[in-house]
Amino acid sequence: MNTLAAPNYKRIYVWEMPVRLFHWVNALCITVLIVTGYLIGHPLTLFRSPEAYQQYWFGTVRFIHFAFAYLFLFNFLMRLYWSFVGNRFANWRTFLPLKKVQRHDLMDVLTVDILQIKEKGKISLGHNMLAGLSYFCLFLVGIFQILTGFGLYAAMSKSWFAGLFAWVVPLFGSDGVTRVWHHGAMWFFIVFIVVHIYIVFYHDYVEGRGTASSIVGGWKFEREDRIKPDSF
Amino acid sequence: MTNASIWQIMAQKGYSRRDFLQFCTYAAALSGLDYAAYGQVVESMEKKPRPPVVWLHFQECTCCSESFLRASHPIVADVVLDTLSLDYSQTLQAASGFQAEACLHETIRDFPGEYVLLVEGSVPMKDGGIYCTVAGQSAEDILKESAKHAAAVVAWGSCASNGCIQAARPNPTNATPIHKILHGPVINVPGCPPIADVMTSVVTHLLVFGRVPDLDRKGRPREFYSRRVHDTCYRRPYFDAGLFVENWDDENARKGYCLYKMGCRGPVTYNACGVTKWNEGTSFPIQSGHGCIGCSEDGFWDNGPFYQHLANFPGFGIEATADKVGLIAGSATVAGVAAHAVLTNIRKRRVIDETQHESADMPREV
Amino acid sequence: MTRIVVDPITRIEGHLRIEATVENGVITDAYSAGTMVRGFEIILRGRDPRDAWAFVERACGVCTTVHALASVRSVEDALAIQVPKNAELIRNLMFCTQLVQDHVVHFYHLHALDWVDVVSALSADPAETSELAKSISRWPKTSKHYFADVQNRLKTFVQSGQLGIFKNGYWGHPQYKLPPVANLLAVAHYLEALEWQKELVKIHAIFGGKNPHPNYLVGGVPCSININEVNAINNERLNHVGHLIKGAIEVVEQMYIPDLMAIASFYKDWAGIGGGLSNYLVYGDLPTTFYGDRDHYKFPSGAILNRNLNEIHEVDGKDDSQIKEYISRSWYRYQGGDDVGLHPWQGETEFNYTGPKPPYEHLDVDQKYSWLKTPRWNDHPMEVGPLARMLVAYGRGLEDVKEVVHEALGRLGVGVEALFSTLGRTAARGLETRLVVQWMKGFYDELVANIKAGDTSTFTQERWEPSSWPQECEGVGMSEAPRGALAHWIRIKDRKIDNYQLVVPTTWNASPRDPQGQLSAYESALIGTPVANLDQPLELLRTIHSFDPCLACAVH
Ligand code: HEM
Ligand code: HEM
Ligand code: NFV
Ligand code: SF4
Ligand code: SF4
Ligand code: F3S
Ligand SMILES: [Mg+2]
Repeated sequence: MNTLAAPNYKRIYVWEMPVRLFHWVNALCITVLIVTGYLIGHPLTLFRSPEAYQQYWFGTVRFIHFAFAYLFLFNFLMRLYWSFVGNRFANWRTFLPLKKVQRHDLMDVLTVDILQIKEKGKISLGHNMLAGLSYFCLFLVGIFQILTGFGLYAAMSKSWFAGLFAWVVPLFGSDGVTRVWHHGAMWFFIVFIVVHIYIVFYHDYVEGRGTASSIVGGWKFEREDRIKPDSF
Repeated sequence: MTNASIWQIMAQKGYSRRDFLQFCTYAAALSGLDYAAYGQVVESMEKKPRPPVVWLHFQECTCCSESFLRASHPIVADVVLDTLSLDYSQTLQAASGFQAEACLHETIRDFPGEYVLLVEGSVPMKDGGIYCTVAGQSAEDILKESAKHAAAVVAWGSCASNGCIQAARPNPTNATPIHKILHGPVINVPGCPPIADVMTSVVTHLLVFGRVPDLDRKGRPREFYSRRVHDTCYRRPYFDAGLFVENWDDENARKGYCLYKMGCRGPVTYNACGVTKWNEGTSFPIQSGHGCIGCSEDGFWDNGPFYQHLANFPGFGIEATADKVGLIAGSATVAGVAAHAVLTNIRKRRVIDETQHESADMPREV
Repeated sequence: MTRIVVDPITRIEGHLRIEATVENGVITDAYSAGTMVRGFEIILRGRDPRDAWAFVERACGVCTTVHALASVRSVEDALAIQVPKNAELIRNLMFCTQLVQDHVVHFYHLHALDWVDVVSALSADPAETSELAKSISRWPKTSKHYFADVQNRLKTFVQSGQLGIFKNGYWGHPQYKLPPVANLLAVAHYLEALEWQKELVKIHAIFGGKNPHPNYLVGGVPCSININEVNAINNERLNHVGHLIKGAIEVVEQMYIPDLMAIASFYKDWAGIGGGLSNYLVYGDLPTTFYGDRDHYKFPSGAILNRNLNEIHEVDGKDDSQIKEYISRSWYRYQGGDDVGLHPWQGETEFNYTGPKPPYEHLDVDQKYSWLKTPRWNDHPMEVGPLARMLVAYGRGLEDVKEVVHEALGRLGVGVEALFSTLGRTAARGLETRLVVQWMKGFYDELVANIKAGDTSTFTQERWEPSSWPQECEGVGMSEAPRGALAHWIRIKDRKIDNYQLVVPTTWNASPRDPQGQLSAYESALIGTPVANLDQPLELLRTIHSFDPCLACAVH
């Protein structure tokens, strides 16, 4: 028997279609690239046949890696474009603590959500500043994977596109070194995914605004008294 | 003219004028010249004495020289007696001491802009050159003096082109590849050592075609270094099929499956081993059961250990691969997340309850 | 009294400088200095012991593989690994291949020009040369037309005015004693040997994938055997090896040995020059059972003191009182002071250059003057190499060795004491090559028989994984490189190399003096060597070349 008056919640369209599409294509690409990449680094022992011509599984794994690499790249470029033309929650400024309020928000999230030394703080409509920063890092490492990946791929591909990245390997010194870095960077994505999914559900659980479902339907719910016109 | 041209030498060896012109056509075609330039090739070969060549030795194991001796086409005697004039080579020359040094200085003096400089070995740049001297002179001084008037400079092997083993951590003598010391272009012919017939081909390319072969951005002749060993490896079908040697001398090794899991560096190594092969096409490392160790790649000694696919992660010590480092980071993250989840249910209890109380009171049954 | 400096010494491997004092046409004092260092022992620290062979193999490309062999043996010794029979045999075949090729190249391409006057060959009569050639062997290429062709080629070459590698040689030096026909014969064989040496090493390519620097493996050999598979050592590969061995026997028996004997017969005075030290050291090699069974080696181990062939001392690489390295005259520093000697397991490598700043005219030979350390056996300076091997085997009474030695001495009409000389060293190299090609055939037959009997194993898996290793262990891998006794000492701690020390044949022979002032082999052999013309120290080269110097090896 709740006697408290329930505050009014409003539905806000935060994540537009292109952002959601980007999100899930990106998540899929990264997952596939991690799995196939890991397999490239640590091939399984499969003895389906003693004859090479009867199977091509390792070749297929690599093919999938390269196919999703292209998808990953173009999806990323699409999101880059959208960060200039999309709504304010999709804007590129939301990924970097450029303004004072953003830096404030960053401290807020750290103290309230991560360290939990403060009980309550400001609630963001789009992603909070720490999340934005983590996505920015993800984009950077994504670019790193694209550079090193296509750099390595340039040597095996006849395509002019991959050829554009031929300058990368000499920068690292050799293919061997480039590969070690490309492989190592995989672990950033794994760590990111663990933290990211956890944090999404954390917010959903603690704040009850439908954070998790927002990346599917695009809507979040927010108390009217908390909605400010300049919220990001 | 005391010096015989290539035509004169061919004539003395019993070749006809027709043979010679045919040879020139062939040479021109191979070097990708068009017909207009063809005349020049004939002309330059008719006139040129055997081009003078000097071969310097610095920090090296002389294995590049040894490899050169293994050339099968042309054989090295033909190169040294007929094709060029090897005026200075500490491994082969008759003269020693100051007479040997005179050979070097006279060639530099008498053929400025004409002699080809071949360098074997890296140059120790630490402590004023004390780690390698010849006739009391430091390697650096000798190199600079010899390169000043050279028509072309070739860096033999991994030592001269990337520093090789003596440049491996911690590089006690600051062994330095020659392209980092010289200002002009250097043709890098990496490999530890390079394949014999690759070496003679690079030299004859220069001399016969009178031009530097096409080089990639690391200064390596595309003719031999544009493909990874992996791309021309005859075991590649097994790689694509996912059929790997799992242990030395296991069933799969005896069938010649792919050596990827034994640490083969073929996928990251640019060299002609799979095609040109070694010792007159007799074999190459992978054909004889050992993975490629990447001997033509920059810094390959520090890209080990050789028997694991993934090199150690620099800066984390031995046995620290990217995966071990990653796994530790990953586990720490999972642990952190779990701790955070527990903490949340304690410290955020009040906030969570409050949020739950905000929800509209719904009847239990509809 | 004049100080002469020969730097670079050419037709060797590496950077060797000799400073010698000549009085009345004879060398009275000599200093041998290695002038290049790379720091292998420093670079190896902290690496995977299973990779070490590849690193140390790069100590030298002339004796390529010998360091790899010593290295895998040292690791196997530390980890108590015994390799399969086939692996032992294949290693022996690779060893023999290297030794034979190296000795032939040394004789024709590095040493011969000390004895053969190339220019004099121009005045030889091809027909007479043909007669000479036929009289000393049944080698097929002996027609007068053949020698005329060689001579013409040489003429063209000389007339071109570009003498290339023959420029500034000591041609016409009165010490050249061969008649023109012998010189022409030698020049022809110089070219033939050059073309042939690349054939034999195909054995390395077959088993090790390439030469120079074939591949090795701790625990066995990397090549698998499967006579029903094209991707492994199969019958075709074995046939190829067999064929190459046959060719080697021909070259050695019909070309190298006859030439050696013919040339030696003109230089018998050199049997009294360049003897130097009277102590000889051999670690032994070519196991006929397995490496650990040191009593069954083709080359037996042992030490000889004061040329006493009747008493062969036992050599133990693990006894820390026997083998020690000194640095009192070398550009290094020891924690415990520069006059102590360290057994290689305790060995230290830290640079400490005190020499003149380049460019320099002279080394200060009263101080430290070389990058080589100075090894000693029971504090005696020792000569190592083919001569030491032949003497120890002779002293131990090995029949096949005694036979070839007696035959050669008989043909030259000299006694055993003639071996203690520059000529003896050069002859011993040829004699052991003769033996080794025959042994090689034996190892090959044994390999084939073993495979026929169904044993195709080439690798021992047990101790491959570092997790199976003890926390700490140490080992020594001993071998006989072409230039002599070679050993690597390794200490493994926490699965990585804690200390790795190479003590190399040329380190024994070419090192500077020790703290007691005792001379090593080069310096000692030079004393008493005549030098008729100070500007053309041909005789000095003869004595030095008779050791077949390899300085990259020696310093590493
Ligand atoms: C999230 C992004 C990515 C991850 C996590 C990832 C992960 C990996 C991993 C772990 C490997 C194995 C490395 C080794 O152990 O040798 C690999 C190989 C490779 N990746 Fe990626 N990768 C990603 C993106 C890309 C992209 C964008 C490309 C671009 C073409 C690419 C191209 C390659 C290539 C060429 C190889 C070597 C495959 C071979 O030679 O067999 N990767 N990747
Ligand atoms: C491979 C796995 C995933 C990756 C790499 C990933 C990556 C990202 C990225 C880059 C963004 C920023 C989107 C933008 O602003 O353009 C984002 C946002 C978001 N993601 Fe994911 N994601 C993954 C999985 C998931 C899953 C499984 C869920 C939830 C069920 C989820 C929920 C969300 C939500 C709710 C947002 C909005 C974030 C916010 O409000 O701050 N993600 N994710
Ligand atoms: N000294 C020496 Fe070596 C030999 N033989 C090896 O151990 O030459 Ni490069
Ligand atoms: S590149 Fe390798 S083979 Fe050539 S000299 Fe250097 S160490 Fe020897
Ligand atoms: S053996 Fe090496 S080079 Fe050959 S296919 Fe396998 S990984 Fe590639
Ligand atoms: S180790 Fe070197 S020889 Fe060729 S196969 Fe690899 S590049
Ligand atoms: Mg040493």
